[in-house]
Amino acid sequence: MLARSCLRSTRLVGPVARNAASKTASRSASTSSSTAEEAASSWKTTALGSGATAFAIGSVAWYYHLYGQNVDAMTPAEEGLHPTAYPWEHTKWSKTFDHQALRRGFQVYREVCASCHSLKRIPYRSLVGNIMTVDEAKALAEENEYDTEPNNEGEIEKRPGKLSDYLPSPYKNDEAARAANNGALPPDLSLMVKARHGGCDYIFSLLTGYPEEPPAGAVVQEGLNFNPYFPGTGIAMARVLYDDLVEYEDGTPATTSQMAKDVTEFLHWSAEPEMDDRKKMGWKVMAIGGVLFALSVWVKRYKWTPLKTRKIIYTPPGGPAKNPSSPRPSVKMNERQ
Amino acid sequence: MPALTTTTRALARTWTAHQLPAVRACTALSSHSRSISEVSASSSFDSPFKGMGSSEKTTRIPSFAKYRNSSGDESGPRVFQYFMVGTMGALSALGAKATVQDFLVNMSASADVLAQAKVEIDLAAIPEGKNVIIKWRGKPVFIRHRTAEEIKEAEDTKWEALRDPQPDSDRVKKPDWLIMLGVCTHLGCVPIGEAGDFGGWFCPCHGSHYDISGRIRKGPAPLNLEVPEYDFPEEGKVVIG
Amino acid sequence: MAGLSSSLYNLFFRKNTVMLGTVFASAFAIQMAFDSGSEKIWDGINKGRQWKDIKHRYVQAAEEE
Repeated sequence: MLARSCLRSTRLVGPVARNAASKTASRSASTSSSTAEEAASSWKTTALGSGATAFAIGSVAWYYHLYGQNVDAMTPAEEGLHPTAYPWEHTKWSKTFDHQALRRGFQVYREVCASCHSLKRIPYRSLVGNIMTVDEAKALAEENEYDTEPNNEGEIEKRPGKLSDYLPSPYKNDEAARAANNGALPPDLSLMVKARHGGCDYIFSLLTGYPEEPPAGAVVQEGLNFNPYFPGTGIAMARVLYDDLVEYEDGTPATTSQMAKDVTEFLHWSAEPEMDDRKKMGWKVMAIGGVLFALSVWVKRYKWTPLKTRKIIYTPPGGPAKNPSSPRPSVKMNERQ
Repeated sequence: MPALTTTTRALARTWTAHQLPAVRACTALSSHSRSISEVSASSSFDSPFKGMGSSEKTTRIPSFAKYRNSSGDESGPRVFQYFMVGTMGALSALGAKATVQDFLVNMSASADVLAQAKVEIDLAAIPEGKNVIIKWRGKPVFIRHRTAEEIKEAEDTKWEALRDPQPDSDRVKKPDWLIMLGVCTHLGCVPIGEAGDFGGWFCPCHGSHYDISGRIRKGPAPLNLEVPEYDFPEEGKVVIG
Repeated sequence: MAGLSSSLYNLFFRKNTVMLGTVFASAFAIQMAFDSGSEKIWDGINKGRQWKDIKHRYVQAAEEE
């Protein structure tokens, strides 16, 4: 109905309509020789169908050509050196974070990274039960001051931090951060593992990939440092991790790569704190789902058994009765043979 | 419109070309030009499966004898079948329960809200006979360190005759500490402490007077000041929430 | 064997209501068993990695102070 009304509204008056009408007339006259007409019109039908298909595919392809492709800010060459794929233990499908490493990584963050980088999506309470005990987290929170709600006079006072507060940022705002760092903004690290191509590998490679001096021929701008893994190779952050920079409380030797590995794992935790539970739940769902699938296959076969093994016998009327047990014409089902 | 019918008719014809001759005849009939006799002349039943292999091949049915239960006892396979179906039902129920539960848990308060739902206050900093107002879930909470006379006065009041009768012992956990929401039960103003005719709180908006136990004594408010959930986990500390 | 299976049948499957009850009761039992079993396997795979494995170091340290 819709198609018809559309057609009516778009139909041109005059010769086209007359032409169409005359076509119908000629058709009704020739319907008696339908086979001949079918043969004549079949190539038209094929052409119509093929044309419509070609048009549909072509328009999709054209649209994809216009809007469907990724627009990358950088060419692969400009992305920097592709980081090595390291065998991270915690990224295996059945492994949780190593929480001892998270604790070390948080120590590295606090003593090294936190002087420039914020971690503002992580509250103290999420450290409890993952990295610290309640008392440690409370003590840590109280080291910092936070704004209170307005008091009776409307003044905003300072109070010691609580578990519900978020980790403090080193700078008041982005402008202050830029001003203190030569115009470069140290990014927030909360979601950094998710936000950078290469994830853990990239961050580890970046932290450990500073060469002693830039290779011959490399142009490094004033105030920047050379790092082959950083897009554009000029990074405002200088190398920060040196052997024995921090002193781990559990006695782990604080080599550069150890610290980089720990802080990378910690940043992965801060980006995906739900990872441990997620993996565990995934395995449980797959186990239950697998058993359920096997059971449902069995039940399907069980329910279909009578249908698949039955025999249908048709005795035509008046014909020779092949089955003596059914003298009347009937359809008989035999469930078992 | 004629153009459309032409197209549909052509399409229908190509479709029916693969189908039964009888159906084709019907289609032709619907194009309102064929005579009845023509149709009846060409209509006869032809099996659509004609020519698909020999008739012997299609009527030969394999033997399923090896699937038969040879023991003659039905209960073994029957219990197994019910067990399989029942296990599938139980696992599906498990999955359904987990799904529904996840949706319901989704509606409860999130972790950051829960983290702020409790407030811990150090009571040692509040001297006797003083009020402290703190913010809890966006509402003011009055904490009153009551003196001995105030406790006596609150307990000796004839509470049965009050508008919202409630003994003082129901309103406090420790008689020294009166903790309640600082929201007038009339229209939600914040009452003023150490004021009013009964030595307790006075609401400046419409003149409700509360006594030293936070009970409504005079004015339009219908109920006593609300007492929140609180607990004394250790000496000198209270956790509200 | 036949006696066992027929008594099982009579006990659990003969009446629909009883079978339904059995199914839901066993759903609870399966859930508890499955949860504790998978927890055990998971903790076995991740031995020494989770917070509960290293918690005692810091809780004890706090108590000693």
